[in-house]
Order: sequence, then structure tokens, then C-alpha cells
Amino acid sequence: MIGYRTPLLPPLDLSVRSGTTLGVLGPNGAGKTALLKSMLGLLPLLGGRLVFPSGRPPRVGYVPQRDRLDQSWPLSVLDVVLMGRTSLLGPLRRFQARDRQCAREALDEIGMGELAERPLYALSGGQHQRVLIARAIAAEPELLVLDEPTSAMDPAAERVLLELVEHLKRAHNLSVVLVTHQLTAVAGFASEVALVDRARGLFEVGPAREMMTPERLGRLYGREVRVAEVDGQIAVVIGRPVDPENDRSRPPEGRAPGEA
Amino acid sequence: MSGFAEFWAGRELWREPLLAGVLAAALLSYLGVFVVLRRMVFVSAALSEISGVGVATAFYVGAVAGIDPHVHGAIPLLLEPVWFSLVFACAAAALFSLRPGHRKLAPETIVGLGYIVASALVLAILNSPRIAQEAHAVGDILFGNAVTVPRSQIYALGAAGATAILAHALFFKELLFVSYDPETAMVQGVGIFRYELLLNVIVAIVISVATRAVGALPVFAFTVVPAAAALMLTENIRATMPLSIAFGVVSAAVGYYLSWIEQLPTGATMVVVASVFLLPGLARLAKRNTI
Repeated sequence: MIGYRTPLLPPLDLSVRSGTTLGVLGPNGAGKTALLKSMLGLLPLLGGRLVFPSGRPPRVGYVPQRDRLDQSWPLSVLDVVLMGRTSLLGPLRRFQARDRQCAREALDEIGMGELAERPLYALSGGQHQRVLIARAIAAEPELLVLDEPTSAMDPAAERVLLELVEHLKRAHNLSVVLVTHQLTAVAGFASEVALVDRARGLFEVGPAREMMTPERLGRLYGREVRVAEVDGQIAVVIGRPVDPENDRSRPPEGRAPGEA
Repeated sequence: MSGFAEFWAGRELWREPLLAGVLAAALLSYLGVFVVLRRMVFVSAALSEISGVGVATAFYVGAVAGIDPHVHGAIPLLLEPVWFSLVFACAAAALFSLRPGHRKLAPETIVGLGYIVASALVLAILNSPRIAQEAHAVGDILFGNAVTVPRSQIYALGAAGATAILAHALFFKELLFVSYDPETAMVQGVGIFRYELLLNVIVAIVISVATRAVGALPVFAFTVVPAAAALMLTENIRATMPLSIAFGVVSAAVGYYLSWIEQLPTGATMVVVASVFLLPGLARLAKRNTI
């Protein structure tokens, strides 16, 4: 049971299987972040418990939402990636040559090895996102958790980043949790999908093929949804509201679309 | 006699105050880098004010207990204003380290409330008839004057500095991680409460001791101005910190000298000199069109 003081979603069972990618999908404000925090143990469960098959919590590589971090800090790319080694090293010890080597290898792996000394402020948004992924990899994780990693990215950049995550997953034998409100980030990448919407009291989880159907996505968004396969990839198109009277995505009366 | 010769001739008078100013400036300018980057500049103002409540409370409790502070050795150790000041500041630092679960009570709101309540308490206690006779002495202890500094305050500053240096030498990487990205630090098992508490308590101790030595205005200024000036000029935290310390130390020394020569208020002159160091950074940002 998850929530801040009162339950946000119906009681749920959710597991991340080894070597799979779990996509957590839902509209803005659906309760995805609360679900994620509960999974990571940052938000106490209102009921139930977390179970770890190995008897201990997995090492987590966490990629936070990029816009929550201040890019004006006087840090180099390497400084940020080295932070991923902090918990491995423990307190009272300084970073060693091995930590620097691991951080540089993580940067090489995401194609940013040459930018190790570059100041953080000089990076583009996409580069900053990659640095955060490199930091998560430098933590030698068993579980990689990404919170809205492709928000504010154009479709091509989004595709490149997700392919990078897929590559890292295979190379490091990782399990991945990908939290997003973007359908395209989940389609084709997640092996399992959880659909979340607290406003509708909705929580469903299952194999991606079963979850990415017009009926289920239609229930999630309250709109007509078409799902098609194009060259082996899943494409999702959101259509008109199923119930125009209860359309949450419609702007309030008297306001034009896009108006705050 | 020339200005400098006159200044040098009076070295017996300014040696301790100058040393206190320079020490306080160095410590605060170093911690200020964290304070400014963490966007908690008003925490230092609030801590300064709250430690003042401790001093005022110590005098008030002493007056209620019938202790005459003017009699040498009359104040028992437990009622020493410096202890009250440290306890109040550290308790506030612990409060500021808590992350409120309720969105309506943001951390800056808690800091603001601390500042407002502490300011009101200091005013109320200082104007109490019970300590009316000690009001001037209390004011000096509360706000310092940077002109006369007893040797005990230099020792206190040295001890506070040693504590800060030791904590940062041992836990620098954790303090940096927790300050930059607390959420990820928490996920990766770095206990953010304990490191935020450590940082805030160190800031509280240094501010509490430094305020008694050099005064509230220079303390607040040294916590903000040298760090801000250095941050505008550098992109590397390892360069930012020594530069900030250098700005602070030079501001304290030159400010003290100018105040002596020109007979200006010491704390305010130090702050004016520190502000000059903002100009190169502002010019640099203006050149880049990033102001």
C-alpha cells in the first residue's frame, strides 16, 4: 500500500524481475513518483512490505529527473560521475585511482569520455542526462532506475538515449525500472509495464504486449488509443476522449488549449 | 607619522581583533561556498540570530537566579553565554536539517520563521528590566564589535575552525554529494540527514563563535560575499574554495586597516571591501551576457 498519508493507489503487488525492464507509465500526477519512492524505500509503505529475493536490497543506480539538479554548480563531468562511487567507498576514504578509472570507463561507455573535465554548466540537456546515467553506472548497480529520463527530449534524442539504456542493461546484466509519462519511451523498450493513475484508482501490471493495448491505454488516458506495429516497433496514437464530459486532459471552460 | 606607520605602532591594540577577523573570514568564506551553492544564505542569518537568543537567555536566566555578571567568576559554567549560544544554534541547525513532509512548510519557511521568532525574542529579552543594566554588555556579546576581541574568542574560533576542517577532510565527498543531489545520495544509501546535520551544525558553531568575535553584519557578509564572488569567477569547486577564502581573508585584513586609518566602523568597512571582489565576477558574467 503506497501513499503519503492516505493510499494513492489500490493495494498492489509489483516485482522487478532480474534482467527485465519494467516501464511505469501514467499521466502527469498519476502517482508514479510515489510508487518509485516506495519501491526504493524512500517513502514508507502504508501497508505491506518490500521483499528482496537475495535477502538484501539491490545496489541501485539512480537517474533523477535532470531539471531537479542545478547545472550551475562548479563541478566537472568527472566530479559528478565520481559521486556514484561514494557509497561503494564508504565514509572517511577519498576517491582512489580505481574510482577515477571506473568513472572514466562509465563515461567512455556512454560516449562522453572526452568530456570528463568539462564544466557541468557547459553541457547540453541531453549530455547532462547522459552524465547522470554514467554516474548511476559508476555505482556498479544491479538495478538501474530512471525517473523521466527522456522528458524535454526530441524524438530522435529520446530514441538514442533509450537505446543507450538498453545497451547498458545488456552489458551490465541490469534490471531496469523506467518511470515515464511518455508512451514512446515504454513502447518497444519495456518487457513489463505498470499502468498507474491515482485519479482513476488504476494500477495494472503485466507483460508489455498485454498492457500496451488500445483498451488498457484507453482506460489509462480516457481517450481513444490506437496501437500499431511499424517495422517491428510499437507506435501509439492518442485520439479523442472516450467520455468528453470527464476528459481530464481538456482545458477548463473558457480557456483556450495551452492556456495556464 | 604616515598612515601605515601609525597603524603599525598600534599593533598591540589591533593584533587580536585582526587575527579574529581574518580567522572568522577564512572559515566563513570556506563554509560560504556550501551555503551559497545550497541556496541557504538566510540560514546563516537565522543561525546568528538564534545563537543570540542563547546569549540573551543566559543573561536572563542568570538575572533571575540573582547572579551578578560583573563579579569575576560569578557566572557558573553552565550559564556561560557561549554555551547557551552554541546549544541554541546547534538545535536550530538540527531543525533546519529536517526535511518537512508537508509541502506547505518548505525549508525556507522554517528558516524564515526561525529568524523572525529569534529576532523578536532577542529584542524582548534585551529590553527586559531584569537585564537592563547588562544590556550594553549583552549587546557587545550578541553582535560583537570587531574592535576589541578577547583572546578566549580567538581560541574559540580556532577550535571551531579545527572542527570544520576535520569534518570536511573526513566527509568532503559525502557533504558534496548530499548538497548537490540529496535524492540520489539517499537512494544510494548515503544518509542525508546525518551529513546535512553535520554541515549545518558546523555552520552553526562557526557562525555562533564568529558573531561574538566580529559582529553579525561581517559574519553574514563573509558567509555570502566571498563565496559568491569566487563562484562567479571559477568553474571548479577545488579552485572556488581557496579563492573564496583568499577574498575573505583579504577583505578582513584590508577592511580592518582602512577602518583604523580612516576611523570607520570596522565590520561595515570589511563588508564594503569584500563587496569589491564581486566586481570582477559581475564583469565576467556581463561579458558573457549571463547576468
